[in-house]
Amino acid sequence: MSSRRRAQLLALPATAALITFGVVPLLAVIRYATWQWSGTSDPVPVGADNLLRLLRDEALWRSLGTTTAFAALTLPTLLALSLAVALAIQATRVERFVKALLFAPGLITVGGSAIAWYLLYNPDFGAIPELTGLRLPWTTEPFAALLYVVAFTLWQHTGYGVLVVSAALRGIPAETLEAARLDGADEGAVRRYVVLPLLRPTLTFLTIVGTVLTLQSYTAVYLLTGGGPFGSTRVLGYYLYETAFERYQLGYGAAITIFVLLVTLLVAAAQAATLARRHPGEVSS
Amino acid sequence: MILLRILTALMCLFVALPIGWLVYAAFLPAEALLRADLTTFGWTLANFAELPGSGLARAMGISLLASGLTVTAQLAFGLAAAYAIRNGARILGLVLVLLALPSELLLVPLYRLLQGFGLIDTLGALIVPFLASPLLVFLLLQALRRVPWELIEAARLDGAGEATILARVVAPVLRPELVAAAVLGFAAHWNLVLFPRVTTTEALWTVQVFLTDLLRTRPFEWGLLGAAALVASAPILILFLIFEKRILATFEAGFRS
Repeated sequence: MSSRRRAQLLALPATAALITFGVVPLLAVIRYATWQWSGTSDPVPVGADNLLRLLRDEALWRSLGTTTAFAALTLPTLLALSLAVALAIQATRVERFVKALLFAPGLITVGGSAIAWYLLYNPDFGAIPELTGLRLPWTTEPFAALLYVVAFTLWQHTGYGVLVVSAALRGIPAETLEAARLDGADEGAVRRYVVLPLLRPTLTFLTIVGTVLTLQSYTAVYLLTGGGPFGSTRVLGYYLYETAFERYQLGYGAAITIFVLLVTLLVAAAQAATLARRHPGEVSS
Repeated sequence: MILLRILTALMCLFVALPIGWLVYAAFLPAEALLRADLTTFGWTLANFAELPGSGLARAMGISLLASGLTVTAQLAFGLAAAYAIRNGARILGLVLVLLALPSELLLVPLYRLLQGFGLIDTLGALIVPFLASPLLVFLLLQALRRVPWELIEAARLDGAGEATILARVVAPVLRPELVAAAVLGFAAHWNLVLFPRVTTTEALWTVQVFLTDLLRTRPFEWGLLGAAALVASAPILILFLIFEKRILATFEAGFRS
């Protein structure tokens, strides 16, 4: 056996772990979706009941709408902010400071972040309503609650976006920019016609990763609103959690998991197809 | 450009405000809250003195143990896997697909799986599912691509086995990236909320489950909440402050290509 072959064997532990706790659950969830199961009782096979229930579950479709609204509000804002900040701080004295600051919420523990927001913005106990007398609407107004979760998500993740865009900016060769300037382009033109097109693969990457994660994640909802008020922030992931682990319907929870996975897959495929049509050859790169 | 700078300043303020207030609240005397008088700048350590009785220490211990063991395994498995991929093992597709799947989405099947292994409500539930991290494999692979291959060829000519090369040649060269990956892996595991909540009960609560519960049981106590949040963040913050440059560089390098 060659050294290369022997070195390849070193993939085994990680591969075994990734298959057992990544691929197996992904496939097994299809079987669990045919169960009626509380988590502690023995599962009872019920065939396609859970999957059929998905179709007539109004709360699920409402939740899909909420998820769409959440993603539509979060993603473009996150991309625009990441791009704006990365461009503004590139090669300035504050670059390192700003990046470290924006990255900080990602490293403060998640529970601590929830407490930080609570202490400042909670309508009943927070400092802002306490000190200013403002009545903050996120526990009573459905749309305000959604915006609140969006703001928290941006607060947590814009730092990552800035890092990614900033890394791409640094990857642009100085000669390319010089050449454009020599051709008489002013800074605005250089940014619009040279930098932005060169950033497109990075922004595409962020869009696709961001879409997948916004469709699937729900820790922020759990921490801030618990899905309320009136289910206005109950994104798909949270509905899944609520069904499985608060109402103890894990079989139906498995069916919802499949639904979320399918939605993610469809959206990602649609994005890839759109990109392939608009910019042939770029998706593969 | 001016507009972009203003936006950046506002963004910094938006990010810093809750963090700043959290720190302030942690040192705020309880009387200041009672008098609703926050302008008298008193500060106290009393809030921190209250923590030992709250159960935070126990949660910290469990989290440190679970996250520490997990990240150790993730580094060993991840480095080995990255090296194997660099040598032609075809698992990058698997890694990339799983990179896009948060554990909170697979909560139901993971719960069943852990039940089958008899791991529900054990320390193993917090560790075993995370032995290999797709993110760490990916970051270490990106780092490994920049290592000159002659180093490895030379070690092979000297007759070194592959495991030895990994431990004695590759690991020392990648030390900075391993450190950065360790911090990111540690932070990711430390930050899990729903997974530990669902798979363990109170005796094994991690820091995050403890914090979210504290928010529910003692919603009026700003000082205690702030102090608990700060202490719970301390391990990550300290690691970040020490290795900040390294972490940001590794993160950026990982996404450059």
